[in-house]
Amino acid sequence: MNALKNALAIVVGVGLMLAGSLAGADTLQDIQSRGTIKVGMLVDFPPYGLMNEQNQPDGYDADVAKLLAPDLGVKLQLVPVTGPNRIPYLLSGQVDVLVASLGITPERAKSVDFSEPYAAITIAVYGKDDEKITKPADLAGKTIAVARASTQDTAVTKVAPPSATIRRFDSDAAALQALMSGQVPLIGCSNVCYLTIQKLAPGKFNKKFELSSQVQGIAVKPGEQNLLARINQFIDKIKANGELDKINEKWLGEPMPAVLKKK
Amino acid sequence: MIRQFGWNEFELLVFAARWTIVLAIIAFVGGGIGGLIVALLRTADSRVARTAMIVFIRVFQGTPLLMQLFLAYFGMAIFGFSVNPLIAAMIALTAHASAYLGEIWRGCIQAVPHGQTEAAKALGLHYFARMRHVVLPQAARIAVPPTVGFLVQLLKETSLTSIIGFVELTRQGQIITSVTFRPFLVFGLVAAIYFAMCWPLTLVARWMERGMARATNR
Repeated sequence: MNALKNALAIVVGVGLMLAGSLAGADTLQDIQSRGTIKVGMLVDFPPYGLMNEQNQPDGYDADVAKLLAPDLGVKLQLVPVTGPNRIPYLLSGQVDVLVASLGITPERAKSVDFSEPYAAITIAVYGKDDEKITKPADLAGKTIAVARASTQDTAVTKVAPPSATIRRFDSDAAALQALMSGQVPLIGCSNVCYLTIQKLAPGKFNKKFELSSQVQGIAVKPGEQNLLARINQFIDKIKANGELDKINEKWLGEPMPAVLKKK
Repeated sequence: MIRQFGWNEFELLVFAARWTIVLAIIAFVGGGIGGLIVALLRTADSRVARTAMIVFIRVFQGTPLLMQLFLAYFGMAIFGFSVNPLIAAMIALTAHASAYLGEIWRGCIQAVPHGQTEAAKALGLHYFARMRHVVLPQAARIAVPPTVGFLVQLLKETSLTSIIGFVELTRQGQIITSVTFRPFLVFGLVAAIYFAMCWPLTLVARWMERGMARATNR
């Protein structure tokens, strides 16, 4: 079923891309005449996207979206999306933009246009203390858990030797549970996820090697130059006036990382 | 970041189950009506009607429900019809359920001995009267177990609608798991809630089977 979902997302994504490029409407004008911006965000990717106690979308992405809408002078409508369906949501026009922790990768840049980065995550392989692993080649014959269709999935898939088994789970939480319960000795996940691991099981797991430092951008449909320019202007503003720093402090406990500052 | 799993989270799960119930009802009602039409056309004398239904059944049984949902929602949006997810789910679930129920009931209709139809014809009963009073009541008796089996499966399959944005029971479970990091507890509860919805269905089925058995054993 998972492989099927992925294959489906790709097939339909390509179809949507073709259709999207034919439509050629100006989303920025649509947003302004409608008076509402539809922002797609993840709700199962804390602290970037989550559902709070009131069952409302919340998190880093939600806070960025809550600044974006007034900046455009429109109301905000948050649309919960999932990792596998977020790009179809954007390309089919069900949402105007994605503030959905979408890591900027060359593959994704073929189907969507990215703004300047607004968030960053470090992705690494973590595992049990007694696992002696310092480089990708050491993964030979090991089993490693990742969240399916995530950046860490791509990164691990790329560097892992063929004899490594990659177990793909629906979410970081499920991958993490597999690690906690001892089903897998290793996990590919973010610094954020590792904070959770340390809280749940202090001192039992450590970082093996870093895969990448991933920056995330706000995504728009390909060719939406006006909207993209407007969003970049917004990101520059919140970086300069300290609002993005505040969001980083609130959700990640540290100021905006250096990788976001350089242009 | 981690939230405790408490009463609030439990309530969210139970509330999410109402989407499961709504979607299941849509699928049952839509599939019931559609399935009856499919079954009747599939057993009709007209060759055109039979062929059309075979094509319909092959297409919707041969493609995954997930893809049908996906195309009904995102596919129609490409062509400029911004469909409400509920409408998209209604279309996909009805078509899916109609194809399966149609084929199940076709088998049940054909299992009624042909002599019954011939006898009804000899009595001068027309098509509707023949179906209404002779064939369908007998077919219904054998249709109960496979129909309920399919409906129970369909109720669980409504979890696939999360691909088009429904936060039903399974999806809510995933969302809550991502903040509480208690998948065993959350999915255990999700399973229990599904069971609480499916079990009554099978009870009703047994009750109906008994009632019908009494009616024919007299």
